[in-house]
Amino acid sequence: MGSNVPLIELRGVCFRYPGGSLIHDELDFVLQTGGRVGVMGQNGAGKTSLFHLIVGLLQPDSGEIRVLGRPRCQERDFWEVRQKIGLLFQDPDDQLFCPTVGEDVAFGPLNLGRSRQQVMQIVQRTLEALDLAHLQDRVTHHLSGGEKRLVSLATVLAMEPDALLLDEPTAGLAEGMVERLIGILNEHVQTCAIISHNRHFLERCTDVMVQLHGGKVVPF
Amino acid sequence: MHISEGVLSAPVLVAGGVLAAGGVGLGLRRMTPDKIPAVALLSSTFFVASLIHVPLGPASVHLVLNGLTGLVLGWMAFPALLVGLALQAVLFQFGGLTTLGVNTCIMAAPAVAVSYLFQPFAGSLNRILVFVSGALCGALALLTSSVLIALCLVFTGRHFLEVAQLTVAAHVPIMVIEGMLSGFTVLFLRKVKPEILGAAADVISPA
Amino acid sequence: MNLDPFSRGTSALHRRDPRVKLVVATAYAVVVAVMQDMAALVPALMLAVLLTGWARLPWRPLLRRLLVVNGFVAVLWMFLPFTHPGTPVYHVGRLTASREGVIYAANLTLRTNTIVLATMALLGTTPVFDLVHALHHLRVPEKLAQVAFFTIRYLDVIYREYLRLRNAMRVRCFKPRTSLHTYISYAHLVGMLLVRSYERSQRVYQAMLCRGFQGSFPVYRHFSLVRSDLVFGTIMLLAIGMLWLL
Repeated sequence: MGSNVPLIELRGVCFRYPGGSLIHDELDFVLQTGGRVGVMGQNGAGKTSLFHLIVGLLQPDSGEIRVLGRPRCQERDFWEVRQKIGLLFQDPDDQLFCPTVGEDVAFGPLNLGRSRQQVMQIVQRTLEALDLAHLQDRVTHHLSGGEKRLVSLATVLAMEPDALLLDEPTAGLAEGMVERLIGILNEHVQTCAIISHNRHFLERCTDVMVQLHGGKVVPF
Repeated sequence: MHISEGVLSAPVLVAGGVLAAGGVGLGLRRMTPDKIPAVALLSSTFFVASLIHVPLGPASVHLVLNGLTGLVLGWMAFPALLVGLALQAVLFQFGGLTTLGVNTCIMAAPAVAVSYLFQPFAGSLNRILVFVSGALCGALALLTSSVLIALCLVFTGRHFLEVAQLTVAAHVPIMVIEGMLSGFTVLFLRKVKPEILGAAADVISPA
Repeated sequence: MNLDPFSRGTSALHRRDPRVKLVVATAYAVVVAVMQDMAALVPALMLAVLLTGWARLPWRPLLRRLLVVNGFVAVLWMFLPFTHPGTPVYHVGRLTASREGVIYAANLTLRTNTIVLATMALLGTTPVFDLVHALHHLRVPEKLAQVAFFTIRYLDVIYREYLRLRNAMRVRCFKPRTSLHTYISYAHLVGMLLVRSYERSQRVYQAMLCRGFQGSFPVYRHFSLVRSDLVFGTIMLLAIGMLWLL
């Protein structure tokens, strides 16, 4: 794959929720390898659905979605996409469902067919990298909001994705946690797109900012 | 798990209705006002869980989880399951109005029985004991329910015997799935929110 | 979750008082459930078909539901004609079907389809919340009506919570298989839903207490029985009575 082929490329994508109004209208969006894009926009502008289209949780009404240089249409195509593109949900409680932190971090690698031994190593490595090793055997449900956010980031990073899509990662985080998150993102994540209302946060961890407006991606 | 409208004989339907009314009455008596939201939300959760299809070889089976319902709700499983079944009857035409009593007994009687048998062990500190009691809860409740379906059919007419046998046989593989899932779910609850497993404790032994 | 796809219609049946529909549907179902005679079952089915037509139910979901119900009936047809003793009428291999068995299975099929159609036409055309409300008026124990109310109220909330968790599992490449990993993951999913619902129920109860809940709900909206409801109810009950006597 040539280095000029975008990692993620959406062309002319139209999408509406069944019975709803048009959310995306001939939308174009590109994320290059190594690119760091901040996505802003009003509530209901379609930021979350943009991410969900990329990983195939939603299907566009028309237009093309190319990830890793190949068009992606069916559930089968997106399975590979999800190995390479990690999505961090807006609400960590939507993402975390295992009893303990360790088990939740192991869930992704287990789905990728890694052996128990490998999974154990991945879990340990990931948690240590994020300075969360002490939480490994804790019950996820009992953690604080900020801890849950970092753990859900760990569950995505454990799959060793090529790029991350982060949906409002600073929502509900205390100031100290935001600093910690910025540190982690700048140290461990090369390619990412981040949805946020927090402009200062985006300025510190992305290179480009775009805005979703009128169903299209426009420069900020 | 349910029997459709128009299959069972009048005596079976009436007996089911009377027994279900008794069970629901007992459940309601033990349901103090503060427990109403909990019973209702757990009832909706079990309803949603019953929409989950779990793969089993080339086929898939949907979860029933009546053993788990009993373990969590005790006698209150009767009103909870009655509401769930009534909803299924009205919304999806699964089961039906006249079979509501019978179907409630089929689901709830085994649920209450396993809660008496296994509730004391589900809160144990021994993980294996917790899993085993949860698994037996799920498996035995499902098996008993299928046996009750078979009995209802046979009491309706001797010529249902073969269908009844087939029903029980078909539920054996599902029983294994239900058992495993219930076991792991109880382990989860034991670890994350043990008070849910205790919720029924004060209900089983009437205050 | 699209709970009641049939309830959003504008037919005359949609506008009837939920209490009347509930009483009529129950009477209809009970009478048909114990009918043994084809001479009564055929007109009973015709009346149910008439009601279904009157309710103008969307035919796709209607057929899908009939198909599900009759799938079970089809299984019974593979057994009942052969296991019911009586005069032989036809053979399949070494098995002999009896005339009585065939009639028994046919009656059962008529009963099942009649009740299912009547329930769809009468209760399907009523929003579920109105049904609970009607139950309350019809003296169903209050606590039971409350459980039903909250169950329906939170069904969609919990269903969406389930969908979000399942999507999150898919995003992490979860593929359901016949494997221990799959079963454990589903068990965690169910466990998590139970924990969240339980905790939500505590908050719901606290919020109710804050608004002065003391064990019973004041009924805010009342149904009003108009003349067409009474006419409809009377005619239907008379018709059901006649079917009973047939």
